[in-house]
Amino acid sequence: MEEMCLKVLPLDPVDLGTQRCRLGPEAMVSLGLKIGFPVRLSLSGGDCLCTAWPRSDLAEGFLQIDTKCATKDFTSLMNRNLLVSLSQIKAVTCPKVKCVRVNVVVQSEEFKKNSPVHFIQDVVKDMLRGTYVSERHVVNVRHLGTPVQLIVIERLHQSTGETGLITGKTSISVGEIQTHSKYISQQKELSSIALGGMEEVCALLKEMLNLPLNYPGTLQKLGLSCPKGVLLIGPPGVGKTTLVRSVVKEVGASLVTINGPVILGSRPGESEENLRKMFQRAAQASLDGPCVLFIDEIDSLCPKRAGSRSAPQNRTVAQLLTLMDGIGSVQRFVVIGATNQPDTLDPALRRPGRFDREVIIGVPVLNERKSILDSLTSKMALSDNVDLIALAEMTTGYVGADLSALCREAALKAIFWSSQGSHGQTVGMEHFLEAFKKVQPSCLRSSIGLTDFKPITWDQIGGLEEVKLKLKQSIEWPMKFPEAFVRLGLSRPRGILLYGPPGCAKTTLVKAAAGSSHCTFLSVSGADLFSPFVGDSEKALAQLFRQARACAPSILFLDEIDTLLGSREDSRAPHSVQARVLSVLLNEMDGVGLKTLERRGTERQKYLAEGSSDVKEEQQMEYHEVCNKDVIIVAATNRPGVIDNALLRPGRLDKIIYVPPPDLEARLAILKICTEKMPLEEDVSLKELAEETHLFSGADLENLCKEAALLTLQEESMEASTIKHQYFQKSLQSMRPSLSTQQIEHYQHLFMS
Amino acid sequence: MSTCALSSLHHALKRSFEVLEQTQERWNGALSACSPLLVSLGNLGEQMRALQRAPLERTPMRAFPDLRPRLRFKLLQAADALVGKLLEQTSVLQSLRDMMSNQAAAVFQLYAQHADALELSSCLRRSATCPSVADMMGWLQDAERYYHNEFLKRKVLLETLRPNDVSDLQTSPKRWESLTNQRGDDCITGEARRASRPASCQPMLRCGTLSPSRVSHPFRDIVQGGVLQRVLVSIV
Repeated sequence: MEEMCLKVLPLDPVDLGTQRCRLGPEAMVSLGLKIGFPVRLSLSGGDCLCTAWPRSDLAEGFLQIDTKCATKDFTSLMNRNLLVSLSQIKAVTCPKVKCVRVNVVVQSEEFKKNSPVHFIQDVVKDMLRGTYVSERHVVNVRHLGTPVQLIVIERLHQSTGETGLITGKTSISVGEIQTHSKYISQQKELSSIALGGMEEVCALLKEMLNLPLNYPGTLQKLGLSCPKGVLLIGPPGVGKTTLVRSVVKEVGASLVTINGPVILGSRPGESEENLRKMFQRAAQASLDGPCVLFIDEIDSLCPKRAGSRSAPQNRTVAQLLTLMDGIGSVQRFVVIGATNQPDTLDPALRRPGRFDREVIIGVPVLNERKSILDSLTSKMALSDNVDLIALAEMTTGYVGADLSALCREAALKAIFWSSQGSHGQTVGMEHFLEAFKKVQPSCLRSSIGLTDFKPITWDQIGGLEEVKLKLKQSIEWPMKFPEAFVRLGLSRPRGILLYGPPGCAKTTLVKAAAGSSHCTFLSVSGADLFSPFVGDSEKALAQLFRQARACAPSILFLDEIDTLLGSREDSRAPHSVQARVLSVLLNEMDGVGLKTLERRGTERQKYLAEGSSDVKEEQQMEYHEVCNKDVIIVAATNRPGVIDNALLRPGRLDKIIYVPPPDLEARLAILKICTEKMPLEEDVSLKELAEETHLFSGADLENLCKEAALLTLQEESMEASTIKHQYFQKSLQSMRPSLSTQQIEHYQHLFMS
Repeated sequence: MSTCALSSLHHALKRSFEVLEQTQERWNGALSACSPLLVSLGNLGEQMRALQRAPLERTPMRAFPDLRPRLRFKLLQAADALVGKLLEQTSVLQSLRDMMSNQAAAVFQLYAQHADALELSSCLRRSATCPSVADMMGWLQDAERYYHNEFLKRKVLLETLRPNDVSDLQTSPKRWESLTNQRGDDCITGEARRASRPASCQPMLRCGTLSPSRVSHPFRDIVQGGVLQRVLVSIV
């Protein structure tokens, strides 16, 4: 027999609250149902207990359900066009229930307070009379319009089994009486927020919330006062707010949120009053269970008093301070503040007794990014070629918000491509790579050094094999083989100085190095740095370093470093801007340490994981992190002589690479690359040209090729299709090499002596 | 066997609807006995509000010590007495409700006893003179639920009434009125008449004029409720 499907229609208003489900008579006969007998509807998302009734118009093929007694999520399933097959409807036996335990959800706190328990029990008993119930179902009694809204069936008497009928003789015990808002928030908590890479902070917060609740006696015995405040510090987007929400849900605490702008009022005293109200609310909620008062962006609410002259602002700060002091041990609530600018907070706020603990949440490190990506993609349909570890390696400097933006973008790309019909419905690595181009790490936004350039491969640079190898050693290898570096106790160089005559591809080399390793590339020039205000340049450079560190591993490229910094020995301008910038640079490269705020990741405890492959993977990531947490400075100059000596000592620019002018073979290679796109006559001998161009730099050679091509157009016509050797010769005669033997010798002997 | 069961069920249903008709009268009687009490309760609320506002200090009555609290106490006492009377009345309602639920339970038990013998089709068979057993059982259950809910709502209203709260007292008559489910009441009346005296409909149906405006009054109640319009159509 073909399975019959019933179309679910909206309920008739008269049947509301009757617990009836209306079916056609034939469907009832085929299921063996009698009028008014209990049936259970089991859909994939939930169950519903009803009594079977024939439709009054006796029409077949339809189903109307009153969801008076159903599991929690059942009502949300009742959308239009839902089809229910007959096999999903089953008759159940419902013996009379002897006793039942229920939780009651009431409309308001006021009703809960004013009504005695026995009254609520009476009402609930009356309400449930004649209702078929099942364990863990929710009986909806909203249609009566009484303050009692929902009755959650906790447990039936053992002898009755799972379902039963409640009669006048059933004894009802009311367990918990909750307000509706609390019930809703508890329901939400079950669908917890996925958090990756924040286990330690999460555990700390949970402990703080749970400790006073679970062991009040112990704490009292020890004479301890429970910690009452936590300050979360971290750059934007690392998930401070999300963390608090998820912890609150997990612990089952209620959350009261304070937003700066909402609190501040226009009338004098209004802001303070609002603050007091919020604390009052939290205190009230804490009577019900653990409670968290969350002050997001606390820097807007509590700036330094010394700096500001506005009296109302100061009063608000003072009010907040006194309120935080006033939280007694009776009120079991915890204040959590979150900020990304802890330096602007009033210092009085940051003492034990107010914010007892400060938790710094840093930019996620590699394995944290991996776990964030894991949790973000857990609900996405990924194709097999997605390598999350590779993605985590590529996304240096990305915070949680950036990563979720990346995943979203990739998913959108997948949808877009699949709508064009070429791909399936899964998100593949190619989508992630495409999204990667669009989503920049947020710490780099508004950075002065961010540059957009056409990527260059090593092959596009002719000759200079030795220099390329050296660059690869110091930039690419630590990224690719971190375990080898750790094994041999090697650390990567702090800085690299490329020097050599002009036009010999120093800048191009750096571009290629940046392109070949997946790291952030920041480039800075004098135009970005210098400003007419005293101290501004230094600040900009320090800021640049901070951003580069946040997105580490990164390359900071200082082109023409001689003009940027100058030398202190050059005594013409002892306190010039250049000298000050130099001192900042020296400090940043080799300073005592970092600011606490710049801490990366959270402090991790090493734990031993089982399963060798996991451990290996973990170690690999660890090595990567150890090796690549710094910024590499790459500087280029053609006047190495004027650079301050302090900058050239090991520990700063410790790798000094000479980029020589091209020799014969290199010139040939350069010429080959330059003429790759040019149609050449048969007679053109690049080798001959290479021999004749002694002392020509790479830039000169490129220019030579251009000139020859132009000359062809000029001499022949616009329709010329090939470049002849004579034009090369002709243009060669008119050009002079930009280098001289003397110059080259000077460079060669510079660091020899 | 089946016909015997059906006829006994019919009989039980008919008897229940007769009881329902009586119950409805008594129910309405009890309710109308309540309404003057509630009006007085509302008046007490009004007086209490007036007492709060009255500038007693500026009247000659200021000579009496503690006048305001005393008057307030008197009013509260009166309110308490009224609520007590109302609760007495609700016990009448409760007994009516219990009676109805016993009736319904008896019918459903009878049905359950014969459920195996009765075919569903015979329970669904309607005739021009008589509604089907299923319909009547449905109506009976509706009626029982109606009394059940009405009583519950009134009881909750009275129990949560706080004489201290002036506005609570003042609005109580209105809230009591708003509890009355007019449509449910109409349905009950119509169903009771129809099921207990099915023969009275006979001549009308034979005439074949079934447009709602010309149907006799027991039917009109139902039709206006919009509930059982389809029943009529399906009978045709």
